[in-house]
Amino acid sequence: MDFLFSYLTLVAIFIILSLSTNLLVGIVGIFSVSQAAIFGLGAYIVGYCLVNDVMSFLPALAVAALASLVLNVLITLPSLRVSGDYFVVTSFGIQLLATAAFTNLTEITGGASGMPGIPPAEFFGLSFDSGFKNFLLAAIAATIASLWFALLMRAPFGRLLRAIREDELAVAAFGKNVLFAKVRAAAIAGVMAGAAGGLYAVYLSFIDPTTFDLNASVLLLTMVVLGGARTLAGSIVGPLVLLALPQLLTFIDIPTTTAAAVRQGIYGLLLILFMVFRPQGLVGEKL
Amino acid sequence: MSATTYLTISGVNKRFGGLQALRDCSFSIGPGKIICLVGPNGAGKTTVFNAITGFLKADSGEVSFKEHRLTGKRPQAIVRLGVARTFQNLRLFTDLTALDNVVSALPDQFGEEPIGATFRPFRTSRAQKALRDRAAAILSDVELSARSDDFVRNLSYGEQKLLSIGRVLATGAELLLLDEPTSGLSGDALESVMALLRRLREQGRSQLVVEHNTRVVQQIADEVLFLHQGHVMAQGHPQTIIADPALAEIYFGGAL
Repeated sequence: MDFLFSYLTLVAIFIILSLSTNLLVGIVGIFSVSQAAIFGLGAYIVGYCLVNDVMSFLPALAVAALASLVLNVLITLPSLRVSGDYFVVTSFGIQLLATAAFTNLTEITGGASGMPGIPPAEFFGLSFDSGFKNFLLAAIAATIASLWFALLMRAPFGRLLRAIREDELAVAAFGKNVLFAKVRAAAIAGVMAGAAGGLYAVYLSFIDPTTFDLNASVLLLTMVVLGGARTLAGSIVGPLVLLALPQLLTFIDIPTTTAAAVRQGIYGLLLILFMVFRPQGLVGEKL
Repeated sequence: MSATTYLTISGVNKRFGGLQALRDCSFSIGPGKIICLVGPNGAGKTTVFNAITGFLKADSGEVSFKEHRLTGKRPQAIVRLGVARTFQNLRLFTDLTALDNVVSALPDQFGEEPIGATFRPFRTSRAQKALRDRAAAILSDVELSARSDDFVRNLSYGEQKLLSIGRVLATGAELLLLDEPTSGLSGDALESVMALLRRLREQGRSQLVVEHNTRVVQQIADEVLFLHQGHVMAQGHPQTIIADPALAEIYFGGAL
């Protein structure tokens, strides 16, 4: 049972991350490979605040979301000037920078050995100290994020973002402010990824830089591609399938060190196969 | 209103490297008319459009529309002042439906920013319905009601042309700059675009139209601007311009 809750809690957290990535990459077409950096920022802020008793969980989560909003807007800004391929390179650099910061700001993050002993979330007199309670917390957050995503996509805002992905120039020609729309989308994606980071920190009680590295960003992209871009369902199916994969690999008799490499290999292979044979993913639209 | 207080371009120059695309380009047009902008390939017709609508910064010169100075303003500001354009290569949103293409161009949409869309979902969905109704009325004006829910990629070329005009109508602009609205069309599709432009003129929409087909020019234009090497060589009644042997020599490399 614990195993199931642990899987579902991670799925819920990654649904929020997938929605964030889907919004930027799928809907607006800003091809970010640095969403894990934002995820990490949120996790480290909440972890730091709780470990050092700076503030309690909810305010820490709010600070994490706000900081992630600001950082995501800042790192998305180059996409307003450099287009397509060039932005991927910029975003790649940002991801490497973030990993370097998480690893080397030892005083704050604990460096490569990580940040242990993050206490469970507590608010309104409730303590989320069991697997089931953590699952509830993550599930509620994922539900809110999903409703938010659906609401935005049904609104004129969603159509504006889709139009921007197709032809920015045409959108500007009709009197719309492309810059504002992109900044707003980046802000929302930032809030989602940062909040997911906070939930991840209190759930696992231990975080280290490897969780928020380039591989994690690639995993998020894989979730969006495999689940299906631009749809809510895609961002739910992606994490459900891809997080089940490591569990399935445990049934195969290979050493754990090899398993990690095999997993990365499978992610890569899935990306290629889906791009070639089913670009719309399982339940989405063509990226 | 006199012609000089509607759209006025004065002394606009634009150089691309070694090419002088616009050379002391000046003209003014009055409201409520269809003005055809003609000239050989490379005359600078699209560059004129780009300079008026803010897609291109002219090296020098002034553009004004009614009491507004357009020079130096960004495209989105110019649309709000009432001047909107179409593109030669249409630039439709191919992954959106015909209806959504038109809705996209409607101004001042509630729920176009996330705060309203998040905290006032019911108002957003009422607004969304109203927007769709307005867009449906525009689609009906351009005779595309039957294709409302079809994706742009499934529309014929003629339908896409009509849709691009529908989309520019949605901006609410009173002066429309149409870049080759009839190119590549023939038969019924050509007739329906010409009929549409005439209907729009009756509704009071002024149009500056880049047009290559002299037959179309004769049928729809109130006035013709002849552009050559970035300079307006002549402006006047279509018959006069087309009959001018010097202009025909430039346009066709020989007399008509």
